[in-house]
Amino acid sequence: MSAHAIGESTGVENRKLGMWFFLSSEFLFFGALITNYMLFKGRDLPAGVPTPFGIYDIPFTSFSSFVLLMSSLTMVLAHHALHEGDQRGTRTWLLTTAGLGLTFLAGQFFEFSEFYLKGAGLSVAPVWSSFFVLTGFHGAHVFIGVLMLLILFSTSVRNGELSEAHGLNVELVGLYWHFVDIIWIVIFTVVYLIP
Amino acid sequence: MAETQSPTIKLYIRVALLLGVLTAIEVGLFYLVEFTGMTQAMATPLLLGLAASKFLIVVGYFMHLKYEKPLLSRTFAIGAVLAGGLYAVVIADTIVSYLNNA
Repeated sequence: MSAHAIGESTGVENRKLGMWFFLSSEFLFFGALITNYMLFKGRDLPAGVPTPFGIYDIPFTSFSSFVLLMSSLTMVLAHHALHEGDQRGTRTWLLTTAGLGLTFLAGQFFEFSEFYLKGAGLSVAPVWSSFFVLTGFHGAHVFIGVLMLLILFSTSVRNGELSEAHGLNVELVGLYWHFVDIIWIVIFTVVYLIP
Repeated sequence: MAETQSPTIKLYIRVALLLGVLTAIEVGLFYLVEFTGMTQAMATPLLLGLAASKFLIVVGYFMHLKYEKPLLSRTFAIGAVLAGGLYAVVIADTIVSYLNNA
């Protein structure tokens, strides 16, 4: 049992349990958005509107997916470094994770711009609305994760270290970050790879 | 993270490499459908299986659920099962509509 969990009737620290409940509820949020996209992706499109599979850039999105997967590795390395008392390592890996998240977001911005220039848009067809809402909300989650990582990094720099109490914060931000990664694993396969 | 077992950096790197390889296989399958005689009906179950494997690997090792108390696994599973149920209902409805119109 973790030192944080002493006195908790469940044996799990309350904030950690709360985070898992939150992530569980997020499944329904993204489940609904993915299902919405699935409903519309086979439908006929108005003249002049490109089909998603006509303009997807799979090599580019594969690279973005790889970047996000590797950010999960750097996140877990940040947590591991803190566990080992390596404050410098923690800062390095937190900043690397934020950098990889920003790289993913830059890729998404580029992808959205390309799609827009090719005739796709939020209001041109239901399939494109559902695509942009789904991937846009995922991007918003990544952005929030990047902000949390940068807050942890700046706290570490300001205080000179992340304390035991901050250790749980790193773990909770890590859980959120990995969740964003697993949602992308599903989106990448269901939205991009399966016509 | 539970303190009974703590994965090593070596294990984390191996897991990340495995995730990279699985992603490469997914992309490879996509192009096999595009450029060879492989049908989508053959590729789709494989792609879903690979995605499920990646999902479970991240949850198990990076989110440490493999080393945590069962309470957390159950909590997480509730959302996953409900979201999967929602997806299954919609897909079933789509199939029924398709068969009715055929």
